[in-house]
Amino acid sequence: MSQFEQVPCNQILNSFVLLLEGDTDVPMLASIDIHLSECPNCTAELAHEKMMHSLLQEVLRRTCCEVAPVELHDLIFEQIHTQAAGAFTTEITTEFTMTEISIEIDEFGTIEHREITIEHTEEIRYQNGAPEKGIN
Amino acid sequence: MTSTELVKESSADRAIRFERDALVFTNQLYAAALRYTKNPHDAKDLVQDTYLKAFASFHQFEPGTNLKAWLYRVLTTTFINTYRKNQRRPQISGGDIEDWQLANAASHSSNLGKSAEVEALENLPDSDIKRALNEIPEEFRIAVYLADVEGFSYKEIAEIVGVPAGTVMSRLHRGRKQLRERLTEYAKDLGYTVKTPKEIKTGEANQEHTP
Repeated sequence: MSQFEQVPCNQILNSFVLLLEGDTDVPMLASIDIHLSECPNCTAELAHEKMMHSLLQEVLRRTCCEVAPVELHDLIFEQIHTQAAGAFTTEITTEFTMTEISIEIDEFGTIEHREITIEHTEEIRYQNGAPEKGIN
Repeated sequence: MTSTELVKESSADRAIRFERDALVFTNQLYAAALRYTKNPHDAKDLVQDTYLKAFASFHQFEPGTNLKAWLYRVLTTTFINTYRKNQRRPQISGGDIEDWQLANAASHSSNLGKSAEVEALENLPDSDIKRALNEIPEEFRIAVYLADVEGFSYKEIAEIVGVPAGTVMSRLHRGRKQLRERLTEYAKDLGYTVKTPKEIKTGEANQEHTP
């Protein structure tokens, strides 16, 4: 029984995906070669697959070559520099305020009114959230 | 550049290095982002997010290794984590697509089928190529794009996408197959495929189809 008979055609066809990727680590590479040398159908099929593969690549590369809008280049450049310079956006928020009111009345009937306000503020720095600039 | 020098690198210097080495890929990443997101608005956002993330972790990038592959990994991960999450679209289960060996043709294709495929690819306008790409499942589209447009090896794609190499093989195989099937269908609908070779006078036939 020759090698050709040992490996059925469909198994050879299924190995094409590996052959097309140029993988040399294909199991039974030697058997595939022997089969191909003896089977004109598989040889034709592989030639077609190789041709279709390069044709598909060519068509896809020709098609998928859009150029990014100029404002996108500018925006990215600007943002990288903002981030590098550590330019922060700062926002001051008031966490809480507390007002202490005290009223004192002394023995002479004098009313003393005091108000103390305590305010706690928090400074929040945004590193990445630079002010949104529309890119429309 | 040694790692000690990298530590000493100021953020301004790093920005200059990033600009020089990474920003040259903006157009390429944008074209990829268009295929990923399918629309220019999201593509712009995705590329912008990608560069900001890449710059934020650029100090971790090892100079001398493949920067383009690294950027594509950031792009792909950002897309999967951000944009796809919003779509709430059911995705193909990733792990069990190792059946590329079973999914393939069980027999030889006919000569007629072969010539129809070739004609479809040779005659269809770019808009149809893009439409076909948009119609195949996202996982397949990304794999085919990375392999056939960007020229990454399937092992590199496994790294970029974060799936086993066998899964990449399966996606490549099925993606290309579906793409070819769709294109052949379009060509048939448009009447580009001619039944017998005698009817085609190659040069003239092609000219008729160009707008």
